Amino acid sequence: MNKDTATRQLPYLGFGLGLRVEHYETLLENPGPVEWLEVISENYMIPGGRPLAWLEKFRERFPLVMHGVSMSIGSTDPLDQDYLKRLAALARRIEPKWVSDHLCWTGVQGVNLHDLMPLPYTEEALTHVVDRVRRVQDALGRRILLENVSSYITYADSQLSEWEFLAAIAERADCLILLDINNIYVSAHNHGFSPLAYLDGIPAARVQQFHLAGHEHGEQLIIDTHDAPIVQSVWDLYVEAVRRYGHVSTMIERDDHIPPLEELLVELNHARELALPLLREAA
Amino acid sequence: MSSLQALQQKMLQAVLSEITPTLSELRGDERADAATRMDIYRHGYRVRLREALAVEYPGLALMAGRSFATLLENYLEAHPSGHYNIRWHGAGLAAFLDYGLPWRDKPAMADMARLDWAISTVFDAPDEPVLGMADMAAIPPTAWPTLVLEPQQHVQIFSTPHNVEVFRRAADQELMRPRLRRYGKTRHLLIWRHELTVRYRTMDDDELAVLTQAVAGKTFAELCECLGDAQDEGAAMTRLAQLLHDWVASGLLRGYRLD
Repeated sequence: MNKDTATRQLPYLGFGLGLRVEHYETLLENPGPVEWLEVISENYMIPGGRPLAWLEKFRERFPLVMHGVSMSIGSTDPLDQDYLKRLAALARRIEPKWVSDHLCWTGVQGVNLHDLMPLPYTEEALTHVVDRVRRVQDALGRRILLENVSSYITYADSQLSEWEFLAAIAERADCLILLDINNIYVSAHNHGFSPLAYLDGIPAARVQQFHLAGHEHGEQLIIDTHDAPIVQSVWDLYVEAVRRYGHVSTMIERDDHIPPLEELLVELNHARELALPLLREAA
Repeated sequence: MSSLQALQQKMLQAVLSEITPTLSELRGDERADAATRMDIYRHGYRVRLREALAVEYPGLALMAGRSFATLLENYLEAHPSGHYNIRWHGAGLAAFLDYGLPWRDKPAMADMARLDWAISTVFDAPDEPVLGMADMAAIPPTAWPTLVLEPQQHVQIFSTPHNVEVFRRAADQELMRPRLRRYGKTRHLLIWRHELTVRYRTMDDDELAVLTQAVAGKTFAELCECLGDAQDEGAAMTRLAQLLHDWVASGLLRGYRLD
């Protein structure tokens, strides 16, 4: 990555939504207070057809960011060069404000689990991921954002906390962070750590974006479903995040059981109502 | 092999495993033991792939009915996913149904899968120009004999004795499961995209013959001969004119060139 790319400041976009097929028409006709959109990269890393035609329309109306689920930055398989080429081509086509993916691995030995598998928080994994983030950033010619994932398992060999691991990767690889507030809450419950300690451990200057989402209570653990309204505890944690990090572009990420757009706009407005007074106060 | 590689390979096998594995690399606590935690990933893998396949194969789901779940389980067991896009895990399903037991004894299933997958791949095939009536009208009469028509490159054709297109239509329109029919004569299915809309229909033997020749890059004169084998010249020209009109009207052609 060249010096200019490394020092480029990314914009503050305000309050946005994850673009979903169910909202295509409504969003174009009446976008309401939606200020920007996040698109799932893989859904548009395709040769042609209707999805790309829609994406061009949204590109004219909204600032876009790209969010991937398959980079598999933590896998010990070689980086998928075909994937990176297609990702770079989509980025050239739609010129997103930034590109993000998850701090996880999604498969190994050529098999894809289509899940965000957590990494062991070890020095070995840290070195491995830092090297790959640098190579991806070189390939894309831009810094990427890495998102914290919800997790259910704990590796016996982990030496660091999750937030120490994430912070160290961001600092060493010079990448940015997408903090999913719901995922912090889910993992904090599942592993018994303090979500506030998590927030305190993340370098504020690296945080570029927030995700807000819902989850489901299983018998013993919380399952990250991203298919339900945001609960009060996650809103409370969001307030703490805004207090710590200030102006961070925020969006609602609903992946399943997609409700009518109006329902998400209510949540988006609630995020705005919580954040704006704090941001004004800080200013 | 690094310890991270070894760990990921072990985790991979644990997720793919039919039974809950015991992994010393994982730690449980008072909330849940390690096996319970691991089961969330094992379960999630299967659910996600099943849901993705159901989206790509609505016709097959309708045709298979209650056995669709078993069919998908068999496929998942035989074929772990290898593509970063979950949807592409479906690419091998028709071939699996062609050869896997008991599915190969029900050949309509593989044909149904073939139609569903053709629709899925045509959906986001590369965008191509569409030849319009005005473009055709501009061709000088003297150019026609050496004219080579260029069908859309994404066009897919396959033959089946089963009424699979009726199942797909019923699935798309959320209608009742139709009756499976096996015709005495093989039928030909054409799948293509008219600008952004995927279309499919049956076609007659003569249209298949002419379209196959057009895809192979034969001249208009050769297409006429292809029809002329079976019919008189006047009738062949009339039929070809009708086919050409239908193809242009339905966006099947991307252009032409003079050979």
